[in-house]
Amino acid sequence: MTVFALMGVSIRRVTRDRVSLFFIVVLPVLVILIVGASVRGFSTIRVGVVDTGSGPAGGQLTAMMAATPGIELHRYGTTADLEQAVRRSSVQAGLVLPDGMSAAVQGGSTVELGLVAESSNPTQQAAVTAVQSVVARYAGEVQAARFTAGTTSSGFVASLALAHRTAPDVADVRVLSRQAGTTLTTLPQGFSYSAPTMLVLFVFLNALAGSAVVIGNRKLGMYERMLAGPVRSGTIIAGEALGFVAVGLAQALLIVGVGSVLFGVSWGNPLAATLLVGVWALVGAGAGMLAGTLFASPEQATAVGPALGIAFGMLGGCMWPLAIVGPTMRAVGHVTPQAWAVDAWTRLLSQHGTLASIAPQLLALAGFGSVFLALATWRLHRRLS
Amino acid sequence: MAPPVLVIAQKDLRQRIRDRSALVLGVVAPLGIAALMSVAFRGAETIHLTLAVVDLDHGATATGLVGALHSPALRDLVTVVDEPSVGSASTAVHGGHAGAALVIPAGFSQSVTGSRPLALTELTNVNDAIAAQITQAIAQSFVAQVNADRLTVATAAAAGQPPATAAAALVNAHLALPVTTVQRAFGAHQLKIISYYGPAMALFFLLFTISFTSRSFFVDRDQGMIERMLTAPLHPQSVLVGKVLSAFVFGIVSITVIAAVTSFVFGADWGSPAAAGLLSLVMVLAVTATTALVIGVARTQRQAEGISSFVVFGLALLGGNFVFVAATPALMQRLALLTPNGWALRGYTDLATTGGGLSVVVGPVAAILLYTVVVAAVAAVLAPRALSR
Repeated sequence: MTVFALMGVSIRRVTRDRVSLFFIVVLPVLVILIVGASVRGFSTIRVGVVDTGSGPAGGQLTAMMAATPGIELHRYGTTADLEQAVRRSSVQAGLVLPDGMSAAVQGGSTVELGLVAESSNPTQQAAVTAVQSVVARYAGEVQAARFTAGTTSSGFVASLALAHRTAPDVADVRVLSRQAGTTLTTLPQGFSYSAPTMLVLFVFLNALAGSAVVIGNRKLGMYERMLAGPVRSGTIIAGEALGFVAVGLAQALLIVGVGSVLFGVSWGNPLAATLLVGVWALVGAGAGMLAGTLFASPEQATAVGPALGIAFGMLGGCMWPLAIVGPTMRAVGHVTPQAWAVDAWTRLLSQHGTLASIAPQLLALAGFGSVFLALATWRLHRRLS
Repeated sequence: MAPPVLVIAQKDLRQRIRDRSALVLGVVAPLGIAALMSVAFRGAETIHLTLAVVDLDHGATATGLVGALHSPALRDLVTVVDEPSVGSASTAVHGGHAGAALVIPAGFSQSVTGSRPLALTELTNVNDAIAAQITQAIAQSFVAQVNADRLTVATAAAAGQPPATAAAALVNAHLALPVTTVQRAFGAHQLKIISYYGPAMALFFLLFTISFTSRSFFVDRDQGMIERMLTAPLHPQSVLVGKVLSAFVFGIVSITVIAAVTSFVFGADWGSPAAAGLLSLVMVLAVTATTALVIGVARTQRQAEGISSFVVFGLALLGGNFVFVAATPALMQRLALLTPNGWALRGYTDLATTGGGLSVVVGPVAAILLYTVVVAAVAAVLAPRALSR
């Protein structure tokens, strides 16, 4: 029972400390919110439009652009604003709808629209192809209207409206899209991306920062004093470890809860997800205990701990999917437990994974956890005996 | 003998250098993380697509399409490889050897003049949404002229012309799509990932100075150090100024080292040294003023830790040190401009992408200075209380 008393002390120390609570409760939720709101960029193309007096023609083209899937439209007031937005990468390409465009499309010559993008910039060139394909579709209607106005008695405006109405009835040469039998190897976008990755990041990071308590106890000779009572060193170590596990589990459950209730994240197969959370809390506890025996001062723990946690998170795919980095970086990433945990979440959330499909990751994580805990126990034990 | 303020600042700096955590926070961590980002995204800065093409038709329209894919305009964006069958193309896409594939069905060229044209098929990989989109856009652009001609005949027919007459007139008219785009360069440099995250990480860890310095002030005070110092003939404020001055020097050194290493080793573009230097200088001033404010507001060491954690992570999250702020929703981009680091990042981005000098950073420098003056004024009122408590 001494074990649980010791665990209780660790938990009370955390819950009474408002700074710890900030890192455990408030910060992860804020980061999930901000990262979740901004990680849409992997597949949308952001296009800026400036209308310098184009009239109805510009409105029609803009409406077509806005209705195109995969394009996110932003409007700007001046060409200078649009160029600045392209330069700052707020949008990847800009379209300038010129003054007098409505009159020009009725005339006989080719109407040229300005496209703001650097030809040396591949990201911008990709956006350019998307814009050009919408402009080409609009141009088709203009061509039909000009031809009809020239060869029949109806005027241009009436013909353009007629072309727009006729367009849905004409069988287009279409470009069909088909999946080549592949499964999603990254987490879904939005909060389903940010919630699991931040769970992995923060449980580990907080455990590293929490090692400051172990260091403090070590420095004050707290463990030696405890040994004066009828307590074995194994009990002390187990108590500390259980404290870490409890705090990690509480934080993980909080993130899972907030994720499902506030952000609508579905965490996949419940049994598999529960085991994954449990094993991850063990890995965090092991890392925290080990850090507690390795760092020299609490200051080092609070300085190096978060930096190390963030670096591991980056290597392990918490900040961006490992699918977008090169094979070497992906292999290096799997030196960290984070990569295995994110892989497991990806299988659960993107591929309807079950306990069986994440078994390899769970085993690897259990391995990491056991090694960390064994090393920490050995180092603490050696000190206490 | 140096003025007391300098002596105190020197002592604090020495103390921080001996404690290796200062080295980690000021140099090792920001450099390490910026390097990680730079290496991880090395391939992601350029979009280049390998497109597998399966031509089962070999008719005139199909040949035109394959020719268009090989055009010089697309050469930088797309590498085209021929695949003999849908099966082999599918395998290439599945295995990631091609980003996407385009299949031209047998009988395609013949069908496009009839009432039931055949469709092109794009084979995509769910993990490469951008490749799928680019392929779709290229194919759409090509079939646009074909579709425009089909729509033209249909519209003329709807307006009362016999379809055969319209089709014949169309062939003679040799129409080309009447609305096109002209790309115009405007002299912007591409924003490299390291050019954003180099400064972003330098500023993030610079913000940590707030935690460290305010904490160390209260540690000194609780140990009776400040009371002892005040027995000497020095102005009480010297103690505070000295402490804050050490944070200032530490910040300047840290950001300079990071700028130098990321520029020379990782190819980050910090822009004109004078402008980047000025921007960094006012940013360090802003952090220094914030440190003084935290010392003024907090009453105990724990409070200082709590308030500074909140300030550091609040500023870093809002200012865009973690997420690329230009890709976030408009509200986030506006919120970023409520923080000095948000303004500084905008300044560094503008320097890197315009290649401009001091005139580029006038706005950011003014905004950061305004923040600094307001914060310093409040700190000047509150901070002396911290000494007397």
